[in-house]
Amino acid sequence: MRRLFATLAVVAFATAAHAHQLNVFASVQDGDVVVETKFSSGKIPVSGEVRVLDDAGQVLSTLSLEPDGTACFPLDPNLASEGLTIEVSTGEGHDDYWILTPSDIASGSGS
Amino acid sequence: MKSLTLARRTVLGLVLSVAASPLVAQDRPTVAADSYPLAYFADRLGAGAVDVIFPVPAGTDPSFWRPGVSDIAAIQGARVIALNGAGFSTWPTKASLPRSRTVETSAGFADSLIRTETVTHSHGDDGEHSHTATASYTWLDFSLASQQAEALADAMIRQIPDLAAEIESERDALLADLSALDERARAVIGDAAIGPVIASHPRYQYFARAYDLTIHSVDWDAREEPTEDQWAALDAMVVETGAKAFVWEAEPSEAALSRIGELGLVSVVMPPLANKPDEGDFMDHMNASLDRIEAASDQS
Repeated sequence: MRRLFATLAVVAFATAAHAHQLNVFASVQDGDVVVETKFSSGKIPVSGEVRVLDDAGQVLSTLSLEPDGTACFPLDPNLASEGLTIEVSTGEGHDDYWILTPSDIASGSGS
Repeated sequence: MKSLTLARRTVLGLVLSVAASPLVAQDRPTVAADSYPLAYFADRLGAGAVDVIFPVPAGTDPSFWRPGVSDIAAIQGARVIALNGAGFSTWPTKASLPRSRTVETSAGFADSLIRTETVTHSHGDDGEHSHTATASYTWLDFSLASQQAEALADAMIRQIPDLAAEIESERDALLADLSALDERARAVIGDAAIGPVIASHPRYQYFARAYDLTIHSVDWDAREEPTEDQWAALDAMVVETGAKAFVWEAEPSEAALSRIGELGLVSVVMPPLANKPDEGDFMDHMNASLDRIEAASDQS
């Protein structure tokens, strides 16, 4: 299953329309939401803010990116039942988002 | 025992029929599209038996539309997800879409996509660097639009086999209409001899290439009046290019029309139709645009 996540992440990063933009991918793994980020140049952002929004666009929580460009937080099934949007900003106009639908969350893969 | 089995079958049959009835009524196949032209093609191809999902609100540029969770959930459930490709929309890279049901309709002519000018800038520690992009309004070359319609029809036939005969029939009619539009554009532009043209936005690269027009572009916001600096830049461009006509992507104000006339340019409104028009459809509007180009050639 982790191979599938990795493949999806690579596809998500690779299909970005323009060079040098931030790409975000999120998935549900073992009850956690795992956020992965990467610039399309291949570089990994070392810092940034992660915002977790519900289906109505209300911010549920914010957290910081780890130095390896990832973030992880426990999935709250009640808050996430209608889906989540994960926004990441790394400054200087670099931001991106990933949408997890209820189906993505239910399947536990984000795919 | 037999009677029990029969009773069970009867009950099971009733349950299934009750359960199935609303599903039959509600389970019309859906096709999602990321541009209005593809939504129009899907609607034509579906012959009234397919629901088309094009959730981009009026007045929103589909290239920059940001979907909500419910939009993506609906799109994920579509039998076919039709994407323009060529970097037209960004949202498909920000959610998981089922690959087997997603068709990038410009993939068949990837070698013919137009690279646009390079933008060089710098920020952060990365130093100066360049971005290249791809012109994405592929359907304005109506022969490419035909290829996109064919790719979509193939995907719909594959994913909605029950409607294959209807889709094939509608495909032939749609391709005939697009071919006629293509021929008309060649004839109109060929006869018009309107020389270099300036467009209000860099949207018309494929139209220019297909129909042998020289189109220069400014980058004006269709919803705002041009500033004095923008008018001055246009004036300089007119002198430099010798342009005789100006293409608007949306109906301009009377003041802007008048100002264009003062620069010696004939105005032509040609909505590229990335989003759904308030009235009429793709064919109506494209033919009306060709009518206006024809009329402009008489004035210039």
